[in-house]
Amino acid sequence: MTQEVVEKIIDQGSHAAAELGERGAAAVQHAAEYGGETGVGFMMHHIMAQPVIKLPTILGIDLTITNHTVMMWIVSLILILAFGLSFRRKGLVPKGRMANALEALVLYIRDDVIMPNLGPKGKAYAPYLLTAFFFILLCNLLGLVPFAATATGNIGVTAGLAILTLLTVVLAGIRAHGVGGFLRQFMPHGIPWWLGFVMVPVEVMSLITKHFALTIRLFANMIAGHLTILSLMSIIFIFKSYFIAPFPLAIMVFSSILEILIAFIQAYVFTILSSVFIAGSLSSEH
Amino acid sequence: MELMTPNSGAIFWTILTFLTLLLILRKLAWKPILGMVDEREGQIKASLEQAEKVSQEAKKTLSEQAQILEAARRESQEILAKARQSAEISKTEIIQKAQTEAEQLIQRATREIQLSRDKAVAELRDLAVELSMTATGKLIGKSLDKKDHEKLVKESLQKIGNVN
Repeated sequence: MTQEVVEKIIDQGSHAAAELGERGAAAVQHAAEYGGETGVGFMMHHIMAQPVIKLPTILGIDLTITNHTVMMWIVSLILILAFGLSFRRKGLVPKGRMANALEALVLYIRDDVIMPNLGPKGKAYAPYLLTAFFFILLCNLLGLVPFAATATGNIGVTAGLAILTLLTVVLAGIRAHGVGGFLRQFMPHGIPWWLGFVMVPVEVMSLITKHFALTIRLFANMIAGHLTILSLMSIIFIFKSYFIAPFPLAIMVFSSILEILIAFIQAYVFTILSSVFIAGSLSSEH
Repeated sequence: MELMTPNSGAIFWTILTFLTLLLILRKLAWKPILGMVDEREGQIKASLEQAEKVSQEAKKTLSEQAQILEAARRESQEILAKARQSAEISKTEIIQKAQTEAEQLIQRATREIQLSRDKAVAELRDLAVELSMTATGKLIGKSLDKKDHEKLVKESLQKIGNVN
């Protein structure tokens, strides 16, 4: 009897301890996530993805929907609505200001990004590149709106986009030269066979590095602007002075304007680099 | 650091969202827009070619017209020159005719005048002979015979002829 009671007590005790431990761990995690109200924690809170709907992890993929996921959906919805409404009527000339503006952007990407790099073969890849441009541009721009999040400031999002470009590049190469032809590109012509042991890993690395750089470039550019603005904002709270406030504010306004420019530049750079990579994969000599 | 590690969920949702967006926009936007632009470019190119053709045709027509105009001008000038020439010819003809007619008239008139003068002179001579005969008869009181008479007349006539 006493044995049972003791065992029960021990059991309960261990349960309680485990629960406490869990709570403690949760508290520590919470503290780590939010890190107080000022400083790094506050900035991280703004930049990092925040879960909106918790979903289970399936096949190692955490399906949790974050604010960045929601932002991507908002961006997609805006793009679908904008293009759908503007180009509802078929005609030779776009009707309405919105349609004209969108057509000008589309034509700019087609004539100055896709055609110079890919030529007439670019027609097949125009939908991918155009979608990438508009998706990234709107993600970048919406990230500047207060209370919104920058999806392209999430390295997972930029990695996803770079993976899609990598897949497009690989598929373009296979479509142009066949699987064998595509694989032969890793072994440049006119070198001794034994150099292949060096050249093939180098070429494979080069292919992956290019897209890794694509990931980091977009992510870093987006995050850097936000960190600058948030750091400047922190200055106001650190000094707690009305006399200091106007200076960071002025620079923040300037930085925000600069960020609008960067939003366009980075969308353009991602698109033009993607088209250059695809063009490299399409051309026979490598 | 969590900031720098790509989250598998973020990658998954990005790819899923992007591919869905790509499919929707391809049907909704890229195909209509690019098709429209291609069609427009084709039409502009066709219109330019058409305009070029029409302009060349117009140029050809213009040169043709200029040729026709030039030919017409030359012809009119020829006609004018011919007309002037023929007018000149008829003018000289008329003048010549008039001159000859006038000359003929003058000649005839002169002849008539001569004739009438001769006639008048003969009449006057006869009258003078008669007068002188009567006058002499009356003066002398006796008639001269025919022979003397004629002799006298001849003498006086010669005198008159000398005067004349």
